[in-house]
Amino acid sequence: MVALSQKALVTSADKPSRRSSFLSFDDAFRLASLGSALIVLIVLLGIIGSMIYGGWPAFREFGLGFITSSVWDVQRDQYGAWVAIVGTLTTALIALVIGVPISLGIAVFLTQLCPPWLKRPVATTIELLAAVPSIIYGMWGLFVFAPLFARFIQIPVSSLVEGLPLVGSILYARTPSGVGVLTAGIILSIMIIPFIASIARDILDQIPPVMRESAYGIGCTTWEVVRHVLLPQVGVSIIGAIMLGLGRALGETMAVTFVIGNANRLSASLFDPGSTIASRIANEFNEAIGLQLNALMALGCILFLVTFTVLVLARLLVARVKTA
Amino acid sequence: MSTIAFSASSAVGKNAAASADVPVRIAVRNLNFHYGDFRSLKDISLDFYDRQVTALIGPSGCGKSTLLRTFNRIYSLYPEQRADGEILLDGQNVLSPSIDVNELRARVGMVFQKPTPFPMSIYDNIAFGIKLYERLPKSELDGRVEEALRKAALWDEAKDKLRQSGMSLSGGQQQRLCIARTIAQKPEVILLDEPTSALDPISTGKIEELIEQLRSEFTIVIVTHNMQQAARISQFTAFMYLGEVVEFGPTTKMFMNPSKKQTQDYITGRFG
Repeated sequence: MVALSQKALVTSADKPSRRSSFLSFDDAFRLASLGSALIVLIVLLGIIGSMIYGGWPAFREFGLGFITSSVWDVQRDQYGAWVAIVGTLTTALIALVIGVPISLGIAVFLTQLCPPWLKRPVATTIELLAAVPSIIYGMWGLFVFAPLFARFIQIPVSSLVEGLPLVGSILYARTPSGVGVLTAGIILSIMIIPFIASIARDILDQIPPVMRESAYGIGCTTWEVVRHVLLPQVGVSIIGAIMLGLGRALGETMAVTFVIGNANRLSASLFDPGSTIASRIANEFNEAIGLQLNALMALGCILFLVTFTVLVLARLLVARVKTA
Repeated sequence: MSTIAFSASSAVGKNAAASADVPVRIAVRNLNFHYGDFRSLKDISLDFYDRQVTALIGPSGCGKSTLLRTFNRIYSLYPEQRADGEILLDGQNVLSPSIDVNELRARVGMVFQKPTPFPMSIYDNIAFGIKLYERLPKSELDGRVEEALRKAALWDEAKDKLRQSGMSLSGGQQQRLCIARTIAQKPEVILLDEPTSALDPISTGKIEELIEQLRSEFTIVIVTHNMQQAARISQFTAFMYLGEVVEFGPTTKMFMNPSKKQTQDYITGRFG
């Protein structure tokens, strides 16, 4: 008994001294981790600040015309972003149109239909797809996909639709080289599929099994369960997942630069070359000086603003189901 | 005799006398069930009587929910689960591969532990299930929805907000919505898997009253952990333990004068 109380005394006497000696370390640790966290914020603000600073001369020179003008003439020092903006939005839209149904199909298959032994191989493959560097997609797109695309899609489709109204201009290739807006969109769709599919899978996995069982329990087919119960249940978050993919598609540079053709003209045809904001910057930054550099910076500002907004919205939407 | 059995006795008195000449609706014959390698139901043979409430009781893991889940083959959503033997619903084996499971599930409705309103309006929650199997003109559909809500004792509370989301209802109301959704399909059998375990006593009371009324139309099987509930609402009780049916009989007899010691011990709370 005596020994016990003595022991207790010793430890209680020990405690404050131990605490105080570690207090300064604890403070230092706290400051260090706070510092690490602050660095991210400072870097982000620094990037935004310098982009705006660098792009400002172009905005001042051309005003709103910088956005609405489709002239990009280095010789005459005239810059307008319209072609690049349209190219960016078009390729991203194509990527979504192709990629979203496939991604949702993958997510539904993995969560609802996949036999257990196949789950891991498919899921791993999809994650590997996300790990492929974009330069590989670019190279593959240019050297492998584009020639095949030209031969088996562009040429037959062009001859088929020639002269027809609307499709005759949208799907007509004057020079069937394989590169172009549609090619870029297809490559982008492959790149965003792993993102959308894996997030959508996580979201669908979070639905309690009893929800699914009660939908099957009233005699729904798998399609009815997915279409009327599961997807509406998580609809907002799925939109968030799609927007995460959109964010990636808007900003993707390397692969697009390879396969879009880098032409500064607006064409009605999806088979024609075009350019995106990111591909334009990647093509020209090397030799850019003066106002051209400012214009590229301004392009960067626009892209940054758009992707930032998309990603923030996406995160908010995805988070909604996680807290629910 | 313990207090539980005594309080049960007064309730049992109100039950319709369970007699052997009631027709059998579901006949389970030599049913075995496997979760992977684990055999969780062992040679179950049991009869469920037409338009009677049969309660499945027993300690957690005894297989009572598993048994319930074989009747509409909901277990088949999970590839590692399988059942063999016979479950004859009106003489037809529901375990046979030739049975259309979706149609089966419309005939054998199920209500789960937690309320699961679908992400749609109160009206659509009910109309959705009807529309899966019947093409009805709008006016008739409206009638069916109202009928189902009335039978589930939810009409008065929900009639002014049929267009609102099913999630806007309280927990007890949501569970009655799920019951309404089930009875709207005019099933032959209703399976209730601990339907009141997530509800407060007042909501529980309402659901129990509801079950009492639904008995006139439907054959009901209920899994419950609540002994008094089994005594109050069921006409037949099956006591299960470790995947086997220890004892089955009229609820009155099961609670007043069980023939097996294990049953008596469980009912009086000595184990389980």
